Amino acid sequence: MPLSTQSQTDDAQYILVASLDNARNISNILKAITFKDHAIFSATPNGLKVTVEDSKCLQANAFIQADIFQEFTIKEDSVGFQVNLTVLLDCLTIFGGSTVPGVSTALRMCYMGYGYPLTLFLEEGGVVTVCKINTQEPEEPIDFDFCSSNVTNKVILQSESLKEAFSELDMTSEVLQITMSPNQPYFRLSTFGNSGNAHYDYPKDSDMMELFQCTKTQINRYKMSLLKSSTKALALSCKVSVRTDSRGFLSLQYLVRNNDGQICFVEYYCCPDEEVGDD
Amino acid sequence: MAVERLEEGLTFNPSPILLQDQSQVRAGGVVTTISKLTKTCVLRLTPDNLYFVLSGKVDNGGVGMWCELSQAKFFDEFQLEGVSAEANEICLELAPDNLSRALKTAQNAKTVKIKLTKKHCPCLTIAAELPTMSSASRVVTHDIPVDVIPKRLWNDFKEPSMPDFDVSIYMPPLKIMKNVVDRMKNLSNFLVIEANMNGEMNLKIETDLVSVATHFRDLGNPPWAGGDGSQAGANSQRDPEAMVQARVDVRKLQQFLMGQQFNPSKAMCNIVQNTIIHLILLYEDVSLQYFIPAVA
Amino acid sequence: KVTWRIFKKSIENQQVFICRLNEACVCVCVCVCVCFSTCQGHSFPFEDRGRVVPRTTGRWADPPDCELLAFGLRLLPIRSTFLQQSVQAVFRSLATLEKTVEKCHIELDADRNRLTFTLHCKHGLLKTHNLSFQDSESLQAVFDKDSSTNVLKAQPRVLTDTVLNFPPSLDEVTVTVSDERVWFRNHVDQEAEPSKAMLTELCLSSDEFDHFEVRARSSVTFCLKELRGLLVFAESTGLPVSMYFDKPGSPVVLSVTDSVLDGNFVLATLSDESGVQTSDRTGTPAPPADDFMNDELESYLIAMDTSMAAGPSVPAPLAPGRVVSPTATPDPWSPAHSEPGEDLTEEEEEPGRPPNKKFRSLFFGSVYPPGSPLGGHTPSSQKVLASDSEDDG
Repeated sequence: MPLSTQSQTDDAQYILVASLDNARNISNILKAITFKDHAIFSATPNGLKVTVEDSKCLQANAFIQADIFQEFTIKEDSVGFQVNLTVLLDCLTIFGGSTVPGVSTALRMCYMGYGYPLTLFLEEGGVVTVCKINTQEPEEPIDFDFCSSNVTNKVILQSESLKEAFSELDMTSEVLQITMSPNQPYFRLSTFGNSGNAHYDYPKDSDMMELFQCTKTQINRYKMSLLKSSTKALALSCKVSVRTDSRGFLSLQYLVRNNDGQICFVEYYCCPDEEVGDD
Repeated sequence: MAVERLEEGLTFNPSPILLQDQSQVRAGGVVTTISKLTKTCVLRLTPDNLYFVLSGKVDNGGVGMWCELSQAKFFDEFQLEGVSAEANEICLELAPDNLSRALKTAQNAKTVKIKLTKKHCPCLTIAAELPTMSSASRVVTHDIPVDVIPKRLWNDFKEPSMPDFDVSIYMPPLKIMKNVVDRMKNLSNFLVIEANMNGEMNLKIETDLVSVATHFRDLGNPPWAGGDGSQAGANSQRDPEAMVQARVDVRKLQQFLMGQQFNPSKAMCNIVQNTIIHLILLYEDVSLQYFIPAVA
Repeated sequence: KVTWRIFKKSIENQQVFICRLNEACVCVCVCVCVCFSTCQGHSFPFEDRGRVVPRTTGRWADPPDCELLAFGLRLLPIRSTFLQQSVQAVFRSLATLEKTVEKCHIELDADRNRLTFTLHCKHGLLKTHNLSFQDSESLQAVFDKDSSTNVLKAQPRVLTDTVLNFPPSLDEVTVTVSDERVWFRNHVDQEAEPSKAMLTELCLSSDEFDHFEVRARSSVTFCLKELRGLLVFAESTGLPVSMYFDKPGSPVVLSVTDSVLDGNFVLATLSDESGVQTSDRTGTPAPPADDFMNDELESYLIAMDTSMAAGPSVPAPLAPGRVVSPTATPDPWSPAHSEPGEDLTEEEEEPGRPPNKKFRSLFFGSVYPPGSPLGGHTPSSQKVLASDSEDDG
């Protein structure tokens, strides 16, 4: 039996082993960043970082801390590889990704090193699935050079209020314009679509606003097509931090709490749209 | 009562078929299952049974289907006047989806009548008396166009013979199998299904990007010895651990699994090495057989 | 405190807004919003009332003036499809709207052709939608439901249960009335192969209706989707639905009314151009009076009410009459001409009748029957419709 030989492979061979009682805890968060097939995995003793990029303008990082896993063993300081994320997600949800309480897929994820596949052992209700996903050499993620010291404006909102706005955004608008200002309108999302424009204004004293730190009025536009992919992460999250730096780069940090109450982060960086014009 | 002449060689009285109350829902479920499997099929009516048949074009790579319903379990009244006393049958080609939709609207009906009629074209007419909020009754009729199949073609719609399989195994819960097959379909166009006489079944796919194998155990193997001694003989000579496999089009297996509305009392899978898989579902009063040819 | 709600019904691509003010005081505001339906191939007479001149411009204080609201909303069916879509966008999620919107402010700036919706939501969130539109002549449906020959009124449930019998994909439904009964059947497009299409027919007794007034046996075919949309609305409000109609080609008015609300949904019907040819063998799927219907169902129905059954066979206007004439000449086969008891069986007994020229031209794909009295009128009405749909698309 191929299965038995595989599962009995000595763990010593693997440079990375991560086990999880419920594969949904990881598949959910990976789903939120699946807007491109290729994902760069980088593991350190702190946990796993999964990076997905789009057209050199958008980068999404999912951070899954080591303590989310029941077992997280890494033999090197850092392990990196690249896999097809869509394929990985199909494998992680091979049993349907059931949301029924009490039914969960146990996962054991193993990697032997450069040139080897990422091997997943999944088990649900006594049925075992073994997946071997081919890996590639990881590309170097783009460095957006976004550092806290350069942050001009920052707000933290409860995700609830942004979800509503994002679900209604006029998708005929090519850009989403974000206005952040110490004065009115404080925090504004604007679209300019075929049929007119729309503004969503969040006052700084709204009970949805957990933090409001704006030092300078900034109006930046970002490609709607890029930001739209962050909606999935928004949907999962409970809080979101919106930051812009002096260059107008945008950082969105989503705090995601899983069913077990553990916390993960998903972070998006987005370049501003070059054709900035005032309306 | 008018005698209708629908087609050369087939004369029959319009035969009312009354569905029993309880049976309406079940009959609807069977037909819905079939409508998920095929766009058109043949409905064969005999004095004892109803059959939904998708003629085995298995040789050409198509799937085959044979679904048998006992008439007595579904109908209060069943009159049938076929071509002649010797060939007391009617064979019709129809879209099961139409039939399924018609039976669905008749779910809460007080009575349902099914009858062959000659309207703008030959039709299977379903008339249901529906309950209303007032004392008045309302009647819904559905005319489902059918093609009457002449007797000379009936041979195409006989019960397929049981393939001389290499392995026969009980299937895992169809819902689990469906989930797995759905995902595998995202990853590959073809799937290898393999099983042995030790109650083990594997579903496998392999592509440039990924290989996936799902392993089911302790499924059990049906004892075919009772009805079919020769099969048992073949099986007993086999190493119970040896896997027999067939590579099939994932979509065809997926379609079969998608259609399942109820849990069958028994689900079995017979495999002829690299040739065909034969799936059998047994319900209380319905049996469904499905044939998926293997591909190289 | 004034609370107000907006009901939105998506009917085909059209939007219908019905505004309703609930006030503690007796002050009753009536908002009438007429739905225009110009879905493919259907039309109904329009009267061009000329350019709309906004009665007022500027700001209105909250709560919005009801009349203004009605006025603003009445703009919607104007030729600007953009506007329709964008208003749809403003009120995309009714569920959240009702939960989150505390106040709504509507402002019309006629000089800048701008309609602004400002929604004051929970947590201080302010949503502003500036919608641009092209002011153009307002088209008003011309209908006079009170002069309709036939009026049916029923609880929405009666009709909901009826339409449930038809598949969701069905485009049009034919409603046929006689003195005692109503038949609903699916309309099968002329192009569709009749041997492929399932025909479904429902027969309802007049007892199921709250009001049943049939002065002329008649048969009209109209969009089922729109009826479904209206029924969702009617069910949510629990109001009975009235249906006013005359003959094929004249609009059918579906109406939902109570003391504060008067909603009229005007739908086009297919014109009955082929008229007498409905029973022609060339493939019109008019269900002939078959013995099954007669011997089986009729006996049910006779048992249900003792009056003589007139038969279910008033022919449906089954030809794809894509043209509606505002001034349709008297139809030689208008329902008024059909005597009770005269039904399809009679026509069926004339197998030798050659297909009428008008029908033939339809059959070969021509929309305008040459030489038809309709020909002279239709292009103009067609033109209005064409520009209506293309202006802003």
